[in-house]
Amino acid sequence: MTAGTAPTVPTTAAPGRKAQLAWPPRAGIRLLRLHAASRRAPAAIAAIAACAIGLRIALLGHWNTYGALQLPLVFEAGAAAAIAVTTASPLGEPERLTGRWLPFLRLATALALTAAAAGALTAAGTGAHLAGGTLDVLRNLAGMTGIGLLCAAALGGRLAWAGPTAYLVVGVYGLQTQWHPPALTTPWIWPARPPHDLGAAICAALVFTIGMAVITARGARDPAGE
Amino acid sequence: MNVEITGLTRRFGQNMAVAGVDLRAGPGVFGLLGPNGAGKTSLLRMLATAIRPTSGRLRLLGRDPGSYGPRREIRRRLGYLPQNLGYYPGFTVAEFVEYFALLKEVPAAQIPAAVTAAIERTGLGGEAKTKLRALSGGMLRRAGIAQAIVNEPGLLLLDEPTAGLDPEQRVAFRALLRELGQRATVVVSTHLVEDVGAACTQVALMDAGKIVFHGAPADLTARGEGHGTGDAPLERGYSAVLAGARS
Amino acid sequence: MTAVRAPAAARPVHATRGHLRAAARLLRLELRRNAMAWMLPVAAGLFWLTAYHKAMAAPPLWNLRATSMQKGALVAFACPVAGAAAWMGSREARRHTTDLVTITARPRWARLLTTWAATTCWAMMGYLGCVAVLYGVTAQQATWGGPLWWPAAVAAAGLPALSALGFAAGTLIPSRFTAPGAAIAAFFALALSTVLIHGSQSYWQISPLVTGPWDIGPDAGVATFYPYLPDLSIAQMMFFAGLTIAVLGALLLPNGPGGGWLRAAAATATAAGLLAAGTAVALAGTGKLDAHGMIAIPALHDAVNDRPVHYTPVCSGTTIPVCLNPAYTSYLPAATAALAPVLNEIAGLPGAPARISQAAATYQQGIGNSVRASLAGPSISGTPPVLRLLLPDQLLGPGMTTSALATALRASAGPAIVAGVTGDSPGASPAQHAVAAALRMSAGLPQSSPSAPGMQPPTATGPLPIPVRSAAQRFTALPASARHAWLVHHLAALRAGRITLAQLP
Repeated sequence: MTAGTAPTVPTTAAPGRKAQLAWPPRAGIRLLRLHAASRRAPAAIAAIAACAIGLRIALLGHWNTYGALQLPLVFEAGAAAAIAVTTASPLGEPERLTGRWLPFLRLATALALTAAAAGALTAAGTGAHLAGGTLDVLRNLAGMTGIGLLCAAALGGRLAWAGPTAYLVVGVYGLQTQWHPPALTTPWIWPARPPHDLGAAICAALVFTIGMAVITARGARDPAGE
Repeated sequence: MNVEITGLTRRFGQNMAVAGVDLRAGPGVFGLLGPNGAGKTSLLRMLATAIRPTSGRLRLLGRDPGSYGPRREIRRRLGYLPQNLGYYPGFTVAEFVEYFALLKEVPAAQIPAAVTAAIERTGLGGEAKTKLRALSGGMLRRAGIAQAIVNEPGLLLLDEPTAGLDPEQRVAFRALLRELGQRATVVVSTHLVEDVGAACTQVALMDAGKIVFHGAPADLTARGEGHGTGDAPLERGYSAVLAGARS
Repeated sequence: MTAVRAPAAARPVHATRGHLRAAARLLRLELRRNAMAWMLPVAAGLFWLTAYHKAMAAPPLWNLRATSMQKGALVAFACPVAGAAAWMGSREARRHTTDLVTITARPRWARLLTTWAATTCWAMMGYLGCVAVLYGVTAQQATWGGPLWWPAAVAAAGLPALSALGFAAGTLIPSRFTAPGAAIAAFFALALSTVLIHGSQSYWQISPLVTGPWDIGPDAGVATFYPYLPDLSIAQMMFFAGLTIAVLGALLLPNGPGGGWLRAAAATATAAGLLAAGTAVALAGTGKLDAHGMIAIPALHDAVNDRPVHYTPVCSGTTIPVCLNPAYTSYLPAATAALAPVLNEIAGLPGAPARISQAAATYQQGIGNSVRASLAGPSISGTPPVLRLLLPDQLLGPGMTTSALATALRASAGPAIVAGVTGDSPGASPAQHAVAAALRMSAGLPQSSPSAPGMQPPTATGPLPIPVRSAAQRFTALPASARHAWLVHHLAALRAGRITLAQLP
């Protein structure tokens, strides 16, 4: 650095109201892209794609009874865990103290990844014998993503996978009990309920909505020391 | 001599970070100055045996770190504080220092005393049971210094050790460096020329991967007389040497 | 900071005790700050909801509870253990301490092994606590026998392997996606490991979810009359031990120059581990369903385990006692009540069994994964005659409540007992058919009984001819004492086919 004369700042009139509101759309997209990159969203999309491909390959086999319903659940849990861990922020407090866009960015990222996962898993099941159908996939994915988001808010983004993976075990067991009583019939174990079960759908949607709301408002808990 | 380097180089891809360094250092405090990107950290990491040289000869504490056995011996007597200190937030200060004492194979019976001494010497006696996540930046730095000195190293490598320390703590730290330098070789990489002036018996100035000055701080000061820019004599000597090296 | 002179570090004393103390201190530090400790509530919760819940739904038989526990425990612990281990494996990269720890004297393998060991210790503590609770409750409920330790040991051997695989994944790929990936991959691998099992001679029986012939459901008949065969358990434990050693050996190979002996040791350990695991898989492939319902592996088989377990049966106080294996004591009242009506009808009759005795089932492998359990040998034998039967719970199928078992027993064994006493069979005389039908009516038994495997074939199902039905109704209408008295005098002739319908009272 040299001690030259400071450049003079040209005085301009205060920007008009129109100029204040006309934020370049390219800047918004750029912001979203940078936010997504900071959350390793591309890697999450790759993980989701891997889940979808895995599901497609697995559906080439013939599965019966509860195995046919348990199998997609594994890949739905994988996608939900991948979405949940992207909530971890590497930037900590400096990012939280910025302007008003952060909650929208969190919401947009989580929603976009969930939509991508739903689309990928549904596409993987199209034309294959996907037990439970698309409704089952959407319900289970939404519910487990909600669990992951709540875990992220409580434990931090990097540990958010604990919720969906634990729920996977619960869901798989719940499905098995439908064939090997005593059956677990609570709608809070929605994978064990039929695809058109309203109670289960409400429970899964509720968890998803609350998870989204919490992560939008608060974000993932910052890990200690960062 | 605790440090003997001949023609040392280190390349990262296309970038020659250390481009041929010759150095010999015995007991005492050795300052390493240089602008950003000069290769100080890369040189320090090679001395710490964290990375291997691309070419050249390196002997530390009388041993060649290229072989497993001698390298392990060197590491028992080595202390290193990197520029960006990693740590486990859930550990307490005492646990953090004890962990490194164990990794450095300090004899088990001596560990409690060594840990206590290291913590006391860095002024963290009152924070021994405090978790690292609760410490301020300066205290964290001192915890890093504590782990570096817990094994009474013969070769102590410190990269920006006073970052985050207040002036009073910096004064105390320089006294610690002088005390450690009586028995060990202490290499301090820093941007703060006053640290070099106050604590170091020898100083080297690196630029673009090479050592462009090696001598006593007084010699560096002398180079700046009538030349160079800066508010302090050492700063003027620093800038004069750099200017000369780049011209 | 002070310039106080610290005690000079003595030359390192390479005594074994010093090394052990240092290693113990390091392990203690790792144990205190390990992520697996925080995952234990998750694992315990999953264990309670799945393994414990399912085991408690089964009757208090050690064989059922232990085998259910083996499968359920691994499924419950797989995700938390693999995920936490991957998390700990990536710790150095996540916390940017790689340089700091790399330049220390303690070898990388010792450092990583200590972190892995701490993770595994917590996992084992959690698992053993869960097993203690399940086995403790079962011990209070079971009426005979003791804990089966082989299933517990197999699941315990699986945890270090899961931990090693997760830890290796986290160390090699310290990404935020590794821990969830490891958790789900562990679960998926476990779930998938049994899909390819086809018959009892399958290499995939090495899966820790396999405790006997695959996919036949809970089998109350095994490991009660005969010991629990440890053959498959031994192979499974060998597999897990080999897998653990191989993974750790490969992971802990030195990644820098030097350390030739260390490299050789790690390579040897990896090779030995792979050999052990491969051998275990090969052994599992030689396993065959034995006659007692368990998988016998010839190379690991001990003939001592083929001898029946000695027991003193528990018997009812009825005139014709019903005697069961003491493990099934809880079924005795219901079984006795189910058979009492028919036993009251035949008690004291010539040729009636002196005792009803539970027998062991004999197993046969069918096509694919199908298995048949039946009674070997005649159902009535000996002097005085003893009727041997299988409880419905010993036949393969879904688990039963006590009342369901009693109903099934009455429906299957009752008609068979009547048939045995009267000599009723498809080729018997009309009088025999009528008397048998009458006895069934008097005892409240179904007229068309399902075929009870291992029992004498019942009378032909389907409606009886009118004369036979009329004679049966006449005979049923007699007072019980009159009916009994007639049978005492005429049973031999009835069995010989010398009684006609007209001669029936």
